[in-house]
Amino acid sequence: MFNNNKNKQTAGDDKQTGTDRNGQVEQLLVPDLEQNMERLQRFLGDGADIVCRMLTHRSFPNQRYTLFYMDGIVDGASIGTMLLGLLEDANKVTEDTEGLYTHLIDRSIAVGKIRSATAIEEVGYAMLEGSSVILVEGSLKAILIDTTGGESRSVEEPTSQTVVRGPKEGFTENLRTNTALVRRIIKSPKLRFDYKVIGRETRTNIAVVYLQGIAQDDVVQEVHRRIDQIEIDAILESGYIEEFIQDKAFTPFPLIQNTERPDAACAGILEGQVVIMVSGTPFVLIAPVTFVKFFQSSEDYYQRYDISTFLRFIRVASFFISMLLPSLYIAITTFHQEMLPTPLLISLAAQREGVPFPALVEAFLMEITFEILREAGVRMPRIIGPAISIVGALVLGQAAVQAGLVSAAMVIVVSFTAIASFVIPAVNMGSAARLIRFALMILGGSFGLFGIMSGLMVLLAHMSGLRSFGKPYLLPFSPLIVSNLKDTFIRVPWWAMRKRPIGMSSNRVPNQHRIGGGKRPDPDQEGA
Amino acid sequence: MITPRQLASTVILFLIGSSSLFLLGGNADRDAWISVIIGMLAGLLLLSCVTLQIQKLEPDRNLIEIFKLYFGRIIGFMFGFIYIIYYCYKCIRNVRELADLSIMYLLPDTPLSMIILMICLIGGYAVIGGPGVFFRMVEVLLPILVMIYVVLFILLLSAGLIDLGRLLPILEKGFKPVWDAAMPEIISFPFGEMVLFLMFWRYTAEDGDGTVMRMTIKGYIFAGAFITIMNIITIGSLGQFAGWSVVPLLQATTFVQLGNILERIDPLVSLLLFSAVYVKLTAYYLGASIAFAYLFRVKLRIAAIPVGIGIYVGSFWFRSYMHQVNVGFESNLKFHFPIFQIVIPIVLLLVMLMRKKVRSRGNHAGDD
Repeated sequence: MFNNNKNKQTAGDDKQTGTDRNGQVEQLLVPDLEQNMERLQRFLGDGADIVCRMLTHRSFPNQRYTLFYMDGIVDGASIGTMLLGLLEDANKVTEDTEGLYTHLIDRSIAVGKIRSATAIEEVGYAMLEGSSVILVEGSLKAILIDTTGGESRSVEEPTSQTVVRGPKEGFTENLRTNTALVRRIIKSPKLRFDYKVIGRETRTNIAVVYLQGIAQDDVVQEVHRRIDQIEIDAILESGYIEEFIQDKAFTPFPLIQNTERPDAACAGILEGQVVIMVSGTPFVLIAPVTFVKFFQSSEDYYQRYDISTFLRFIRVASFFISMLLPSLYIAITTFHQEMLPTPLLISLAAQREGVPFPALVEAFLMEITFEILREAGVRMPRIIGPAISIVGALVLGQAAVQAGLVSAAMVIVVSFTAIASFVIPAVNMGSAARLIRFALMILGGSFGLFGIMSGLMVLLAHMSGLRSFGKPYLLPFSPLIVSNLKDTFIRVPWWAMRKRPIGMSSNRVPNQHRIGGGKRPDPDQEGA
Repeated sequence: MITPRQLASTVILFLIGSSSLFLLGGNADRDAWISVIIGMLAGLLLLSCVTLQIQKLEPDRNLIEIFKLYFGRIIGFMFGFIYIIYYCYKCIRNVRELADLSIMYLLPDTPLSMIILMICLIGGYAVIGGPGVFFRMVEVLLPILVMIYVVLFILLLSAGLIDLGRLLPILEKGFKPVWDAAMPEIISFPFGEMVLFLMFWRYTAEDGDGTVMRMTIKGYIFAGAFITIMNIITIGSLGQFAGWSVVPLLQATTFVQLGNILERIDPLVSLLLFSAVYVKLTAYYLGASIAFAYLFRVKLRIAAIPVGIGIYVGSFWFRSYMHQVNVGFESNLKFHFPIFQIVIPIVLLLVMLMRKKVRSRGNHAGDD
């Protein structure tokens, strides 16, 4: 409604109109500089951050021109050099036929990337993205100069996925920095960046990154298709995109991976995954992804394979502990006491003697308490930190046990569960375990081991039905691909992982092998 | 689409299914394992000469479609319908086995109706996902379950419970009781139950070189060997008691004590049996739902609801576990199941062969 009205009105005001690609009426530039300036100002809403500088060229004294840019989102240094070049332009015009417009483009502007535009809207949107604009009197075209810049965070160590060994660079909020970080790692001409703009109001830049020939073509097309279908007014974080493009709407499991680490993103690209970068967030999306990927850290590939395999087992065990331990404790203490050795049973029973609640309620209380503590830890101002830990550890833990509100064993169970949940490298998989935990606790409290088993069966059926961009979530376990098992919950040495994951990357023959055969270190061979 | 490996996995778990609950061929006492081998070989003959042949003649149709094609609309519908009843009944038996097992070993105080409801719901959830989801699920479950079984066997062995001397003397009373125990009971349960796969084979990705047949038979032989070994272990550890106890395998594991850490592992073992029986009942539930969907031309998701309700209500027909086992072993295995597993498939195969012959003769006549 609003748009239509505005278009009608402007169309009435100015006769100089045309239609753009979307069929919308747009205002074309007119020869009159003053009128163009006024219309551009009006289009951008006369903000105080719009800088407008009127200039004359010494070779064209009768033709004025204006430099427009938005302060703060342009690169100060480029503006400086450009202004200097324009003001000090000593180039003599050799031919009279050469207009100021052409002269400026060809000889004066000291910036690499320029283009021209004919409509006020195009000029305005370019300025909103950080371009500078030169309007020339008498010319129907404006010069757009790419001076995008302004303040942004520098490349720092990622905070969410830390490693002991490995690169310490992390993505930033700046899309250009992020693409450069990837380019710097994969110096291949096959690396493709497809750019898109999404969000009616935010006009957020998005880059789809993949290696041509290694990523599967249909996956890349599917990523494009799904992103193009998004209709939204604003994209503030890659999470917006994730919810639009994931295969199944209702599932606790993440169907798209995210990372803050360029090396992890590149590892994905090199295995045929597609990376989606969103301007304004350091978290890039990686798809398609399988269940096991969430238990792998990029550090696994930098450390020796034996310790990596061990750590992966620890992570999987932690996932199951974080999901199952409270419910198992409830189920066994409530329904299956006979499973426990007698001394342990007696000690547990003695602890629970004064506790006024059934085990299920007790566990729920403690779990919710922990979730509150955890959330408080994330949200609180940093200065209050110690207070929270004192209250949390002493009052809610020790004092609650001494007061007989909860049993000590339950505190141990809940704390262990909590610690285990932090071991999973992917935070979103940890969240899945957190949510499932509560459902399983209810099942365990009402149906014992039978209920937990039922819950696990439903979970397995659910996971068997999940897909990420058409790839079965449980790959390579189901459907079983034996050669892919080398990099799942175990990791074999690099020289033994000759093939890229089958099914995930393109299966054109020359791309299959990433490592030459027979590269196993063997000291005896060298002498011979 | 189902991969051949998923098919084999499902055949294995389906056959192991609830057969580990009972001492198969218990009438043959310590020679039960020989009965199992005989039953397995006879079942293999039935599978490769009848059931798989039907599939080979019509690789892209399931049983219901084959019935409709060869017996006409009305008789085909009737045959399809009684097979839905048969699948549902088999499913009901498994639901009851699972429910009663749970009440006996895990949840003595929980009402039966609640447990049956839970079982129907978790079965239904997998069924609604369709055959793709179910078969993928089984592929993941199989290695886990086989691993646990192996650990269990090792535990039984290391606890010194297995004494193969209990199998001796072999064939003490001659061959007749062994043969009687195998025919037709062990064919009917579990080996003849492969007739259910007539509902699933057509979903397998076939590359035209008999992969379906090969993988099915491989899975069958693996499962047969597994069941035989389990039988030997049960007899070896319990001896004469094996025939008397409610669930012999569980009985055997109650004697296992893992140091002082786990006093009794039988709840864990019952979970193992739980998974296998769950796979079996879901397979039947899925088969019945697919049959229902084809017969009444509705979507699988919709078909799963009436079938599920039927299974839930039908489960209360048995008065107790003993009643269920008794009905099963005394009458079903001897008289009822062979009709569905042997008689009807053979009749169907003969009709198919005859029609094919008539048709090919007709074609020849046309050529002349």
